[in-house]
Amino acid sequence: MPAPRRRLPSLVTGALLLGVTLLATGCAADAPLDIFQGDGSESQIINDLQIPVFGVAVIIGILVLAAIVFIVVKFRAKPDDDDLPPQTHGALGLELGWTLLPALILAFVAVGTVVTIFDLADAPDDALEVDVYGQQWWWGFEYDVDQDGTADIVTANEMVIPAGEPVVVNIRSRDVIHSFWIPALNGKKDAVPGRTHHLTIQADDPGIYRGQCTEFCGLSHARMQMRVVALERADYDAWIENQQRDAETPTDADAAAGLEIFQGQCVTCHQIDGVDEVEFAAQVSGAAPNLTHLMTRSTFAGGIFELYDEANEGDPYDLGGIPYNDLPEQGTFNRNQLEAWLRNPPAEKPMAPDPTEFSQYGRGMPNLNLTEQQIDLLVAYLETLK
Amino acid sequence: MALTEERPLALTTGDEVTVDHEPLGVFRRPTATEGWRSWVTTVDHKKIGIMYGYAAFFFFLVGGLEALVIRTQLAVPDNSVVSAELYNQVYTMHGVTMVFLVIMPMAAAFANYLLPLQIGARDVAFPRMNAFSFWCFLFGGIFLNTSWFLGGAADGGWFAYSPNTGVVFSPSHGLDFFTLGLLITGIASLVSSINLTVTVLNMRAPGMTLMRMPVFTWMVLVVQVLLVFALPVITLALILLLFERLYDAQFFNPEAGADPLLWENLFWIFGHPEVYILILPSFGIVSEVIPVFSRKPIFGYPFMVFSGIAIGFMGWGVWAHHMFASGIGPISVAAFSLSTMFIAVPTGVKILNWLATMWGGKLTFTTPMLFAVGLVAMFTVGGLSGVTHSVAPSDTQQTDTYYIVAHFHYVLFGGALMGLFAGFYFWWPKVYGHFLGERLGKAHFWLMLIGFNLTFGPMHILGLQGMSRRIYTYDDGLGFNMWNFVSTVGAFLIAVSILLFMANVWTSRRKAKGQPAVGPDPWDSRSLEWMIPSPVPEYNFDEIPVVTSRDEFWTRKYGEDENGKVVRLHSADEVCQKPGATGIHLPSPSYWPIVLSAGLPFIGYGLIYSLWWAALGGVLVIAGIYGWALEPADDDENPHGHDDHDDHDPSGDDAVAADEPVDVPEEAPVG
Repeated sequence: MPAPRRRLPSLVTGALLLGVTLLATGCAADAPLDIFQGDGSESQIINDLQIPVFGVAVIIGILVLAAIVFIVVKFRAKPDDDDLPPQTHGALGLELGWTLLPALILAFVAVGTVVTIFDLADAPDDALEVDVYGQQWWWGFEYDVDQDGTADIVTANEMVIPAGEPVVVNIRSRDVIHSFWIPALNGKKDAVPGRTHHLTIQADDPGIYRGQCTEFCGLSHARMQMRVVALERADYDAWIENQQRDAETPTDADAAAGLEIFQGQCVTCHQIDGVDEVEFAAQVSGAAPNLTHLMTRSTFAGGIFELYDEANEGDPYDLGGIPYNDLPEQGTFNRNQLEAWLRNPPAEKPMAPDPTEFSQYGRGMPNLNLTEQQIDLLVAYLETLK
Repeated sequence: MALTEERPLALTTGDEVTVDHEPLGVFRRPTATEGWRSWVTTVDHKKIGIMYGYAAFFFFLVGGLEALVIRTQLAVPDNSVVSAELYNQVYTMHGVTMVFLVIMPMAAAFANYLLPLQIGARDVAFPRMNAFSFWCFLFGGIFLNTSWFLGGAADGGWFAYSPNTGVVFSPSHGLDFFTLGLLITGIASLVSSINLTVTVLNMRAPGMTLMRMPVFTWMVLVVQVLLVFALPVITLALILLLFERLYDAQFFNPEAGADPLLWENLFWIFGHPEVYILILPSFGIVSEVIPVFSRKPIFGYPFMVFSGIAIGFMGWGVWAHHMFASGIGPISVAAFSLSTMFIAVPTGVKILNWLATMWGGKLTFTTPMLFAVGLVAMFTVGGLSGVTHSVAPSDTQQTDTYYIVAHFHYVLFGGALMGLFAGFYFWWPKVYGHFLGERLGKAHFWLMLIGFNLTFGPMHILGLQGMSRRIYTYDDGLGFNMWNFVSTVGAFLIAVSILLFMANVWTSRRKAKGQPAVGPDPWDSRSLEWMIPSPVPEYNFDEIPVVTSRDEFWTRKYGEDENGKVVRLHSADEVCQKPGATGIHLPSPSYWPIVLSAGLPFIGYGLIYSLWWAALGGVLVIAGIYGWALEPADDDENPHGHDDHDDHDPSGDDAVAADEPVDVPEEAPVG
């Protein structure tokens, strides 16, 4: 056997140091999906539990790895030493000890875990409720403002909530399993077809909290994103007020022509409140996001494209300094991206539309082969949806 | 000799059945002992083990290539090396391949080769069944991978959650190949698990009590028992999915009153024991390697055995920790959270016992020892991140992020695969009669260790930064860029290290040409397989050894001198068996296992494309079963290249052991 080399310890130590540094830099500030953000009451409850657990795990990991390094250095065979080391077969006390000690540490963790599980399962009775629907590959949000059992606001990609108030989200799916996750506010909860799952979230401060579908849901799973927008109560009320309006009939000639194109093509899947549906479309209308107030959102196409240029800048909790409700007035409309989308949606986001057959399982937007002129007119109309 | 009478061995010494017709009149009984035909028809557990190894390594290269595609795509944000469609197939097949076609069969390679040797048997209980298992695995794996050329592979993830895997959402045939392919490889695993369980329980050498078995044999036994119970669950789930996809059955569709969570439960009831199926063989390997290179017995043998059993047992009660976010309710979450936490206890015991084995030893860092210590260190990291998952509220933040990907790669790559490589380097001289090169081996280890940590270490951070799993790309500006790039660099380092391993296999074989084989005991080892020549003769043991203690071979070499000090009393050559035994009857080779298993993929293609193919497959299967049934286990016309057993002249110095094969009535293998 060749003589053992001396470089083992330094490498293990190096790996160890690397590991610690890596964990320490885990909570980078520029990571809007970071799980340790704790911007909501629920995520703070989780943090109170998980930060100590991660700490203990890191310490135990360092101790064990250090023990390995120590043993590897200390008990290395000397050359030409052919004597047997003492032949120990075990030590019952020691082994019982290191069976029981981890069990004891875990018992502490277990108590905290169980308490937290039931803490998080408690939902306030009088909280605002939002119905969340996952479908390939976007999130829909429905608000029953007057509590009559039918949705008064149907929107997509962005869920607007009042800051500082608990909100119960009723999570459902219209096709496959998705998972609703806003890491800054709470852990994730799956949207399972046929079931309704509840999740409480509360954003302590106004801001934009990003999320991502986290259960693999097919082709464009990566492209299924969402945001929670927490507004001051007054802004929230204003938003609610505006969202309940029907769309106005455009006065501008281009926009009016755009509406005609919309009614000819888009209305098959997209609804706009106040615009009559054509008859054949009734069955699948609503399979795609409701566009009544398209321009009040900061994103489109499943939350993956910014609708306003400024929204790309600044920190992730902010829309370039523009208040959310003022986006339609103050934002710089990201016209190019929307036109590119209308030109050929499957080129912008992987989708598997079935152009021959309108199925209730919408699998994305097909290429409608619109002409440049049609695109201009359509965009002119869409711009009026505020 | 009471013990031996209860323990039949795999050789016939009694009256032989004579048949005066060729079975079915199709094939002559194969007799080749060399050349390709000997491999195709072999029922020798060692040849089958070697074939398992090479086939699994081939699939390892396939799965590794898929991993490189994944890492290349994710190297930078908004990348488009592959389409989303292809990416989803690649990541699915990477997982399926590595779990079902690499780690499981690689472990099966070691189990097949070593298990009979470690318990002092001449073969497994059912040698033809063993061949059948291998061919089912190989054909199932090939069948699964032909989907790449027939319209695309499965794209639903290895977990294949319904309804995303229904025909509506996954209309290609990829998932049909997935279900049928895994059903075929499932037959392989199920047959093999029963075979090996029976082998361990019934075919141990005299004196080899359960608590004298090597830890590797113990861990393999636990794994086989897990497989016997876990495989029916996945088989059921796959058949339900198959019927949904092919025949419009409704098992998971909520609109038909079913529940998609049924699939999740079934899959993970199989899927979590599967994790232990993947890791325990490597725990066994490491438990063999560390004592040899520490020159100490394993510390706390009973704790090692019982912690393995405990892991196997508790492994059944933790499946829903894969479903903490699936809405199973706080009581279920709490229960599975607790059970998951406490499965860390027996795992921790194993790690500390390995450390205690090394403590006070005289450690030599040969390549197998490096890989073994690598496993202990890397698995510790994976185990601890596993404990953080068990904290359910925290897991709802971690699950389906790269933190999970990091965790299970530390467990399955840093754990299972490191252990398997330790095994390759450790037992290579036993199998081939020459060492793998130490220099290249060490380079392989260090490069793999560094590459591995560069690849999967950053994934902890990415996951905690919120990067989701199973995404074909990610946006710029989410903080994911740097670590993803590092991870990709690491992946290519791993690829280079695997090339070093292959170069090592190649060059060490060339160097060994014309050299005498290494002795039976090149590492000063402890268990029975080192007592017989390297490479192992076809019949394994000239005489079946009588076992008097744990580490039987070691205790034959070492003992107390007059001062009570433990010293070497005998050289390995004095103790080991000599090659060249004659008169040992072995089960004869057979065509039928490969014929029977070859029918299964045709049935698979038939169910997907046209029932005519299934008819052809059915004919092969039925012909295989009949041919098999009518074929005697032993070919009396060709007594397998050895002299008649009556000439047997035991020449060992252990008279008791020498008498044994002659005196004891033994049963023929019935497989």
